[in-house]
Amino acid sequence: MNRLSLSLCAAAAISSLSAQDARQIAEEAQRRTRASSQRYEGTLTVTNKAGKTAEKRWQYERFGSHGSSKTVLRFTAPAEVKGVALLVVNHADRASDQWMWTPALQRERRIALQDRSTRFFGTDFSFEDLEERDVDQYDYKMLGEEAIDGAPCWRIEWRPKQTKRSQYTHAVVWIRKDNYALAKVESFTKDQLARRLHFRDIRNVQGIWTAHLLDMEDLRRASRTILKFETLQYNLPLKDENFTLQALRRE
Amino acid sequence: MRISRYKRCAASSLALAGVLTLRAQNFTQRGYLETRLQAYPQAAPGDSGRALADALFRYEAAYKPNTAWRFAGVFDAQTDTHRQVERRWNLSWQDRTVPDPAFSVRRLSAAYSRGGLTVEAGKQFIRWGKADLLNPTDRFAPRDYLRVVDNDFLAVTAARLLYERGADTMDLVYVPRFTPSRIPLLGQRWVVLPDSIPAGVEIRDLGSRFPGGPQFGARWNHVGSGFEYSACFYQGFQHLPLLDARAVSLRPPRAEFQRLYPDLRLYGGDVALPLTWFVVKAEAAWFTTSSTQADEYVQYVIQLERTRGEWFFVGGYAGEAVTNRRSPFDFAPDRGFARAFLFHAGYNLDTNRSLSFESSVRQNGDGLWMRWQYSHALGQHWRATAGFNWIRGGAEDFLGQYRRNSHATLAFRYSF
Repeated sequence: MNRLSLSLCAAAAISSLSAQDARQIAEEAQRRTRASSQRYEGTLTVTNKAGKTAEKRWQYERFGSHGSSKTVLRFTAPAEVKGVALLVVNHADRASDQWMWTPALQRERRIALQDRSTRFFGTDFSFEDLEERDVDQYDYKMLGEEAIDGAPCWRIEWRPKQTKRSQYTHAVVWIRKDNYALAKVESFTKDQLARRLHFRDIRNVQGIWTAHLLDMEDLRRASRTILKFETLQYNLPLKDENFTLQALRRE
Repeated sequence: MRISRYKRCAASSLALAGVLTLRAQNFTQRGYLETRLQAYPQAAPGDSGRALADALFRYEAAYKPNTAWRFAGVFDAQTDTHRQVERRWNLSWQDRTVPDPAFSVRRLSAAYSRGGLTVEAGKQFIRWGKADLLNPTDRFAPRDYLRVVDNDFLAVTAARLLYERGADTMDLVYVPRFTPSRIPLLGQRWVVLPDSIPAGVEIRDLGSRFPGGPQFGARWNHVGSGFEYSACFYQGFQHLPLLDARAVSLRPPRAEFQRLYPDLRLYGGDVALPLTWFVVKAEAAWFTTSSTQADEYVQYVIQLERTRGEWFFVGGYAGEAVTNRRSPFDFAPDRGFARAFLFHAGYNLDTNRSLSFESSVRQNGDGLWMRWQYSHALGQHWRATAGFNWIRGGAEDFLGQYRRNSHATLAFRYSF
């Protein structure tokens, strides 16, 4: 009996320790990407099940740091979606607020929480995938270690807390040991792998290790979106007033 | 240190190229050329044409010289086979012509922003309301109703002040000169004369009597945690006309009519509330007037909205309660789509192809409008859209009166 209690206590202590380690790793990964702002131009290539491809381009700007950042993402090509924009206002304690601006309608539309599992404008990213993942919104569990693209990584399970509403029941995240950059994320819905995001071409930009190519696979649709970053910059002098609903309307 | 003329010239060229590049980055443009074909299986009284074609070239440009200023312009050029577009070379600014102008400035405005303040002056689009199916509070948004069910918004010449502070936005609008909605042309299929008017009556269009004086509106919007609501006030004129018609002679039988735009005061509000399964959106407005010819009424819309996977659904009801009935003779498609169940659904087949379905079903079953559309993007620039509008109902119903106007459409758009 005593031996069993001791074993249970030891197991609980080890589990707690590994959860603590996993969280610390996630925190460190987040800390290392901290920047007051970010801007890039991205090219998206969407390839569907039949092998047909479509190309889109967007310009992305982020203001503020994790927990309270705001982002504006505006399509620049193809011509028929040029000007369509998404404003994401992230919150530390709850899900983000999102609005989409459609120039042809001259109106913005709030993206409701329950609609965020929807694909974003024909890409394999859902609206939820465009939110930032703040460490405080998840519980962590260390699953082990595994190399991705030859780089040793920690393999950590992220499970959204009760307060966060998510289409995913959990995600398995690979974080590189050498620079704490995300290497891969597998997102699950009811224990079924739904999306796989691979971070490639990781380079140091202004002291921040950043993937320049995101490869997102939607396994249920058997389609893939590759997002290539161009002209990526951090810590630009952006203004808070350019991340409001009013600013969203100003194309 | 002496710098050679060659080096100075090269440095100047580089600096100029840099400035031009920077300026080019602040200039954006887009546009499209669209041709549409419409085929009507049935001839209509007074219009035997069954096939129509039109073409529209739209060019939009915006220039931001700095973070505070923004200039935006949209230019339209169009033509058609059915004389719904003028055959004149003049450029329209006010959108007061009876047919569509061949060339028009669709938008031309300058905006200045600083902090939470934005001031915009010029011809611009102003959209109020949150509902998607019908917007009772959207009073600065006249439309081109030449083809009733395929309509497009018109801009207004206005000065607008928006002030955003935290979760609240105040919107003040002043319109010095009235812009009416464009209504169907006499002698064409979207004008359906009452059965009481015998065949052979000559009807003369005496034009419009536009109201003088400005329009004013104020709207306060609050964005809460997961919900939004707003309240608004409008004082101005109805952009849809009353028709002042009278018989002028019996032999030969002749009648004439003129468009009048009664004054209008509106009190309204809207709300968007995401629930577990749906987003509920509601919008209501109370319309009052000092005119003895126009009705006073309350119009409201309540709709449920959901996006799931590749589907989106919007369904709801648009209602109306007349508080002071004066039985006007008018053209009022906004009221024509009220007292009806409205539905809109769409499905993305893949990245390039989509289907959509819209309908309006009168609550008493007297009128029905349905539209199916298939849209296919071809490469980076081309899109083909095929659709069918099906209209049924009784002669007394707003939708039903167009029962001979069911039609198929085919459109090709080149975007750049």
